[in-house]
Amino acid sequence: MTDFDTLSLWVAVPVGLLLVLGSTLTLLGTVGLVQLKSFYDRLHAPTLGTSWGTAGVLLASILLFSALDGRAVLHELVIGIFLLITTPVTLMLLGRAALHRDRAEKVRGIPPARARGDAGSDG
Amino acid sequence: MIEQNLILVLVMLPFLGAVITATLPVNAHNAAAWISGLVLAAGLALMAVFHAPVAEGRILRGVVQWVPALQLNLSFRMDGFSWLFVTLVLAIGVLVVIYARYYLLKTDPVPRFYSFLMAFTGAMLGMLLSGNILLLVVFWELTSVVSFLLIGYWYQGQAARDGARMALIVTAIGGLCLMVAMLILGQIVGSNDLDRVLGSGDLIRAHPLYPLVLALFLIGAFTKSAQFPFHFWLPGAMAAPTPVSAFLHSATMVKAGVFLLIRFSPALGGTEAWFYAVTGTGMATLILGAVIALFRHDLKGLLAYSTISHLGLITALAGIGSKGAILAAIFHIVNHAVFKASLFMAAGIIDHETGTRDMRRLSGLMRLIPLTGTLAIVAAAAMAGVPMLNGFISKEMFFAEAVDWHNGTWLDNSLPYLATFASIFAVAYSLRFIATVFFGPPPVDLPKEPHEPTPWLRRPVEALVLICLVVGMMPGTTLGPVLNQAARAVLGPDTPHFDIAVWHGFNLPLQMSLVALLMGALLYLVFARQIAAGPEGPPLLHRIRAQRIYERLLLALSWRLPRLLHQRIGTEKLQPQLRILVLLALTFAAAVLWRQLAYATEPLANPLSPAFALMWLVGAACALGAAWQAKYHRFAALVLLGGAGLMTCLTFAWFSAPDLAVTQLLVEIVTTVLLLLGLRWLPKRREEIAEDQMLSARLRRLRDFVIAAAAGLGIALVSYAVMTRPLIPNIGDWFLRNAYKEGGGTNVVNVILVDFRAFDTFGEITVLAVVGLTVYALLRRFRPATESTNQPEQQRGEAAAALQDYLTVPGVILRWMFPAMIVVSAYFFMRGHDLPGGGFSAGVTLAIAFLVQYLGSNVRWVEARLTVLPIRWMGFGLLIAGATGLGAGLFGYPFLTAHARYVDLPLIGQVPAATAMLFDLGVYALVVGATVLMLIAIAHQSLRSARLRDQDTPEAESKEAA
Repeated sequence: MTDFDTLSLWVAVPVGLLLVLGSTLTLLGTVGLVQLKSFYDRLHAPTLGTSWGTAGVLLASILLFSALDGRAVLHELVIGIFLLITTPVTLMLLGRAALHRDRAEKVRGIPPARARGDAGSDG
Repeated sequence: MIEQNLILVLVMLPFLGAVITATLPVNAHNAAAWISGLVLAAGLALMAVFHAPVAEGRILRGVVQWVPALQLNLSFRMDGFSWLFVTLVLAIGVLVVIYARYYLLKTDPVPRFYSFLMAFTGAMLGMLLSGNILLLVVFWELTSVVSFLLIGYWYQGQAARDGARMALIVTAIGGLCLMVAMLILGQIVGSNDLDRVLGSGDLIRAHPLYPLVLALFLIGAFTKSAQFPFHFWLPGAMAAPTPVSAFLHSATMVKAGVFLLIRFSPALGGTEAWFYAVTGTGMATLILGAVIALFRHDLKGLLAYSTISHLGLITALAGIGSKGAILAAIFHIVNHAVFKASLFMAAGIIDHETGTRDMRRLSGLMRLIPLTGTLAIVAAAAMAGVPMLNGFISKEMFFAEAVDWHNGTWLDNSLPYLATFASIFAVAYSLRFIATVFFGPPPVDLPKEPHEPTPWLRRPVEALVLICLVVGMMPGTTLGPVLNQAARAVLGPDTPHFDIAVWHGFNLPLQMSLVALLMGALLYLVFARQIAAGPEGPPLLHRIRAQRIYERLLLALSWRLPRLLHQRIGTEKLQPQLRILVLLALTFAAAVLWRQLAYATEPLANPLSPAFALMWLVGAACALGAAWQAKYHRFAALVLLGGAGLMTCLTFAWFSAPDLAVTQLLVEIVTTVLLLLGLRWLPKRREEIAEDQMLSARLRRLRDFVIAAAAGLGIALVSYAVMTRPLIPNIGDWFLRNAYKEGGGTNVVNVILVDFRAFDTFGEITVLAVVGLTVYALLRRFRPATESTNQPEQQRGEAAAALQDYLTVPGVILRWMFPAMIVVSAYFFMRGHDLPGGGFSAGVTLAIAFLVQYLGSNVRWVEARLTVLPIRWMGFGLLIAGATGLGAGLFGYPFLTAHARYVDLPLIGQVPAATAMLFDLGVYALVVGATVLMLIAIAHQSLRSARLRDQDTPEAESKEAA
């Protein structure tokens, strides 16, 4: 912990704020996952954590370690980019699977599939 | 010194010849024959060089270290006995090569024949010359294997294949017994050196294991020398080409057994057990062979049984074991080789010229092929023991030994009568051979019109018959000296000199010979007609044939019994197999740990962290849920299993084992995805199925639950006991201390894997390769259950249209990720030696990169754009790992010794460049290959079943239309 003692206040304050911001958003997302009623609503909740939640923590990490090492430590950006690209894939797959199932089981309140030119007959 | 090297050259020459002839074109008859002949002639020249020192009674040696730890060296020795034998083998070999050159058809593949022949000669020479009893066994087995190949040369024929297999099975069983005998002998004597074993006769005979050694040794020798009751393989081996028969059954293969008997008679012989077993078997074989030979209609069959009979004679002499008997045995080995080789060759010529070997069809050939006929008649007369021919003299000596030598047992007393009885039949069958084939009315209805063969096909026969005559008339001056040398080499330097003469006066042996000649002639003349009309074998006895018993036995042992066992205790279902496996493991673990499992008095423990406990709670819940859901909701179970795996991974990370955490994560991904792909092909289980709710099913599940719970609890208890023990200094500390110093890496796990324990890793990746191939092979022939062959619901009807492009966006993103994942994989690999990573995790990462491509797009799309050749990845992986290991040998280090250093690269800086890294590269490639191979095997299922459906649909439609 000795490293952190030498940290100047100008760095420590923004790092702390970013960390609090990121973790709070992630927590909120998790609470939402439990609280929200329908599956489609719940899909949105974790995105809080994967967007600004991650970004806050990562920015904090960049700031902190850049200040500590005295050079630009940027490889957290790679983590951010990959998370940004890949999490939508999961959510999309989950959403489409749920939609397909609900349509197949004729759950009420689910909009019907749109007619598509290339798919020939539909619906 | 020069002699030492020359002996090694002598043994290596035929093998060199085998290699050269193996590389010749298929129809290079002349070249192959010249090379083989010259190799053997060079061998003979070497023997001429050795003659002088051997004649002085010296023993020449040549030694090359091979496996000194096992006392197994390439040690060769030559004394008078082996000199004589080797010369015989080489001389007959040269003649056989000349004969074969003109005997083989233009279409017969040449390299196979001559290279096997050369290899066989080499094996035979090695056996004769080896000065180490284990080396002797090695060459002994080599003769069995190569003779199998030679006998099966015309493998297109059923008879050749059966004969070859029978010869191999019988002689290899004998070889196995011989090996055990030699190992015990080596233990008794304390050395595997032949000279020491031969010199320790008293020690061996007094040892309590002597009867066992003797029995095993004799089985080895008797099977090789076709002694009763192992004689039946020899007639079966007659399906071989005649040159092979002439070589194997005159001078080489079958003589190996009697060679061994004579060679080891000073060490093992001289006891009553030896006399009864060896002489008894020899006499039985002598009589049996002679009697059966008389009744065989096949020319080569007659010769085969006559060979058996003569081998029995030599064996009987070896059993008597007196000085004269040993000399007579050696003499008869030479004589028999000479006349039997010529007879086989003559039979081959007759077969070649007439197209048949059936003596009932052959007749009066003397008029058509007078020269060959004359030669065959002289050789057959030698076989019968007619005076003035070589067979007569050694037979006389046998009679003399039978009469003169006494130890007072019943067998000894009956020896002269038995010998005369057998001789009568020997005369009769020789006479039958001469009379039916060459005399009588001209042959009718032969497949071919016989002519004299090309002169060169006859030359070897001429040479051999000339030897028969010369030795028969002047035995003392021609073979006397070398025979005495050979006998001295076997029996020791104080052996008196024997004079071998044609005329010993009108004594008892001569009278026995005359009786045999007269009675034999009478026997044949009286019964000639009945024999020709009778069955293929002696009256009454022809129904009992050892070969048939062997075949029954083989059928029972290799077909019925295994199938019965398989039927009784085997099952094709996975569940019972797993149940048995788990129960066995449980039983053994319980038996071992019963009352032994002790817990540490003060358990080693950390304070409990609430976060960790929570994590484990989740993990445990996942695991339990997976087990709970496994029956009806496999998909949910798989997801839960993934959760449990993730918790394991986090646990490793928690306890500062990043290496394990990384590996666990990657393996978890791969297994989950592969299982997911596999789930598609399992038939669905539904709760509605009535049988599942019945009492028996419930009971079965309850039983399985109890077994599973017991096994799980057992593992938990053992793990707890092990992990709570106080820490003690162990090998791990050594690894931690030395990983950097010795292995040049700071990642201890990786250094252990690729350096300290590289050989284990090498074995493991080999296993992984085998597993990959096995999975592939199993899945290639996999037929899914009928319920799951249809397209899944999502690919049919409306759903298919709605879900047509559901993977477009994920697919694109996964394609973007592909290069990134390759970079990660390379990164893991490069840093593996010092930081968490390494070949295994890097390989799995790359495999995942391929895996997600298969997931994100369809199989056809991927394979049109991306070609992975997993088998080559695996092959190169193994090769790289193995070559790295062997590379250490170039610098004089043991296999897989690693070298580590750092190299300065411009721009990048210090880079570790350990040879272990190369080894790791092999691991990497192999892991990629094996994982992708399994993936492809599963992924292609969908392609295959799509194809199957396409095939089925038109048929079904056409049926409906009809």
